[in-house]
Amino acid sequence: MNNTMGIILAENQEIRLNELTDVRSVAALPFGGRYRLIDFILSNMVNSGIINVGLTTMFNYSSLMDHVGSGTPWDLNRKTYGLFFLPPYIRRSNTSGVSSGSVDLLYGVLTHLRRSPQKHVLIAGGNLVCNMTFDGAMEFHRQNEADVTVIYTNLAENPDQLKRTTVYELDSENRVIGIEHNPRNPKTPYSSMDMYILERALLIDMIEEAYAKGSHDFIKDVLLTNLTSLKIYAYEHKGFVGRVDNIKSYYENSMLMLDDAIRKEIFSGPNPIYTKVKDQVPTRYGENSSVSDSLIADGCRIDGTVENSIIFRGVNVGKGSVVRNSIIMQNTIIDENCDLESVVIDKECTLRPLKRLIGQPNYPIILPKRTMI
Amino acid sequence: MMSTDCVAMILAGGQGSRLGVLTTTVAKPAVPFGGKYRIIDFALSNCVHSGIDTVGVLTQYQPLELNTYIGSGNPWDLNRNSGGVYVLPPYQKAESGEWYKGTANAIYQNMEFIDKFNPKYVLILSGDHIYKMNYSKMINFHEEKGADATVAVIQVPWEEASRFGILTADENSHITEFAEKPAEPKSNLASMGIYVFSWPVLKRYLSMDEGNPNSSNDFGKNIIPNMLSNNEALYAYGFEGYWKDVGTVQSLWEANMDIIADPPAFEIDDKDWKIFSRNPVKPPHYMAKGSKVTNSAITEGCEIYGTVRHSILFEGVTVGRGAVVEDSILFPGAVIGDNCVISKAIIGNDTVISNSCTIGDKTITDDPHKNKYCSAGISLIGGGLIISEGIKIGPEAMIKESI
Repeated sequence: MNNTMGIILAENQEIRLNELTDVRSVAALPFGGRYRLIDFILSNMVNSGIINVGLTTMFNYSSLMDHVGSGTPWDLNRKTYGLFFLPPYIRRSNTSGVSSGSVDLLYGVLTHLRRSPQKHVLIAGGNLVCNMTFDGAMEFHRQNEADVTVIYTNLAENPDQLKRTTVYELDSENRVIGIEHNPRNPKTPYSSMDMYILERALLIDMIEEAYAKGSHDFIKDVLLTNLTSLKIYAYEHKGFVGRVDNIKSYYENSMLMLDDAIRKEIFSGPNPIYTKVKDQVPTRYGENSSVSDSLIADGCRIDGTVENSIIFRGVNVGKGSVVRNSIIMQNTIIDENCDLESVVIDKECTLRPLKRLIGQPNYPIILPKRTMI
Repeated sequence: MMSTDCVAMILAGGQGSRLGVLTTTVAKPAVPFGGKYRIIDFALSNCVHSGIDTVGVLTQYQPLELNTYIGSGNPWDLNRNSGGVYVLPPYQKAESGEWYKGTANAIYQNMEFIDKFNPKYVLILSGDHIYKMNYSKMINFHEEKGADATVAVIQVPWEEASRFGILTADENSHITEFAEKPAEPKSNLASMGIYVFSWPVLKRYLSMDEGNPNSSNDFGKNIIPNMLSNNEALYAYGFEGYWKDVGTVQSLWEANMDIIADPPAFEIDDKDWKIFSRNPVKPPHYMAKGSKVTNSAITEGCEIYGTVRHSILFEGVTVGRGAVVEDSILFPGAVIGDNCVISKAIIGNDTVISNSCTIGDKTITDDPHKNKYCSAGISLIGGGLIISEGIKIGPEAMIKESI
């Protein structure tokens, strides 16, 4: 895979998680107790042997930049290639604003694409939770002599989410014969993972042409319009895929990490998921702590009760407090005798004693970053 | 302080034989401590926080693990353009080549290394102490006193004083007397084995000491007494705070337990003085339904299905259903099977305790594995072992092979 470069589109304008993404890119969303969503695709690329990774962004990318830094945790601080942070390309003559679609994002990184010597490009988004390598898809791409290989997952079990994705219609050889974006009545359950493999030269041509025509969207304006002229094949990824595209799916996929089989597939397989290290101390449990079916990161202090929850690094849960079915992000302080159920608390919030917040699993209460109540 | 003013040399070559099976394949400074650290992390982190960025680590006994662990030094921010951390094993020289004969000889053999940085001072540290100390304060003290050598001292209980190197100092902290493990101590100021030397003076004494074939080439036994008898300016720098030499199974166990005491006797959760370590790539720890953890420290990658009381669990430890772990330290990757009872034990890296075993079973008084290095009821199970189902092991046993 060292003849393939990676491009991560860290922002997707169609994805909104209200307060959680007001302050950060989707790819920078904290996930699973000590990760951010970007860690999964970054680790997957690195674990596949890709060592030239470009990261494109659009809005509020400071938390993303802070997180990936020079790429050291992913072994991407290299003399040759490594991690390239590619902020929005805004020309002096065109100060009207930021780019508005995947074509614009890719156009902004054309220089980087031209300068890289790798034959192939793997384009991917930053909102999927999965542990995979791309060797199989690459082999599939070669065997089919495809122009573009798209990677998909079977979403038959989640028809609700299927409607919020791109769906492929396939022939018996897995060649893509139809593409529907956010279909009301999906023809198939083959849901795009927004990952594409193609030759770098072809990508450059496609982007230049699309941009010249004033197109914005890689799927609608490039793939869909070239469905017959290009050989587009679809490769199925069979493992777990957690797609984070709204608050509900963020909450559900977070809770799925408490499932033994899924957690082990994602975190304990042969390919580790890397993230920024914080040198936190081990988590301390007090005399009266009681924790069940939860993931707890380092640097916490647990003196209360935690059930069925995800607790990020540096969180305090005070005596007599009860946290159920909740996600508590980094450095949040929950004082004594609080009662929390189905809440998502962003980073660095403070809850004074005796606070009570009860949400619903399908509609969790969100507490924005640095809230104090 | 300019960073090249001072080079720190960490003595990390000792075997630490009193730690028994914990140090058969690793040197003492590489022994895990406190849930996610190695003993040497404390000296290294202290150096970095004290503004010392040129550090030599003298290794000799089983250096592989320690070399790998230190690597390029980036976990401690010691991967620097100039300076940084250097692992210094003994090496073959043109005329001769020999092992480090003693602590002073280890420095003597690396005089060229130190000279390369042309420092004013050399700080000598042990790689096997647990403490947080700002060395720059000690170096300032050394400078202010115009000392040739400064020895860090700590007050110890009088009844324990005869176990240490004991210093007597006047009201200006000028050292007047030094006695190694005196039967009748004249003071309770114990040497911590931490020294600041003015480099030209130390060089002279190292060369002199090397010329004496009867010397044991040791700082405490030879260099300090020689400097004292020649009336060099020796000062005692008083340190207050937590400091523990973890040379024995019991002291290692106690120092670990000090971290989880309430309030902790030794606080490692210190935002201004973080202890850095090589972080494992592991997810947060998982606490299953039916798990119960109290008064303990647990880190990433652990999977807890049973009960854990007053214990320290390193990364990737599994505690099975119905198992009870108390007053114990479980090293990285240890697996405790279902329905085991582990009391007051240290379990080595990646050791598997199969289902229904009992470690530290007080009803067993004549365990054949009883070992002189295990005291205070602490049992020690080596690393990489498999203990078969249903085995019962008594207190103060040391297990070196799978059973």
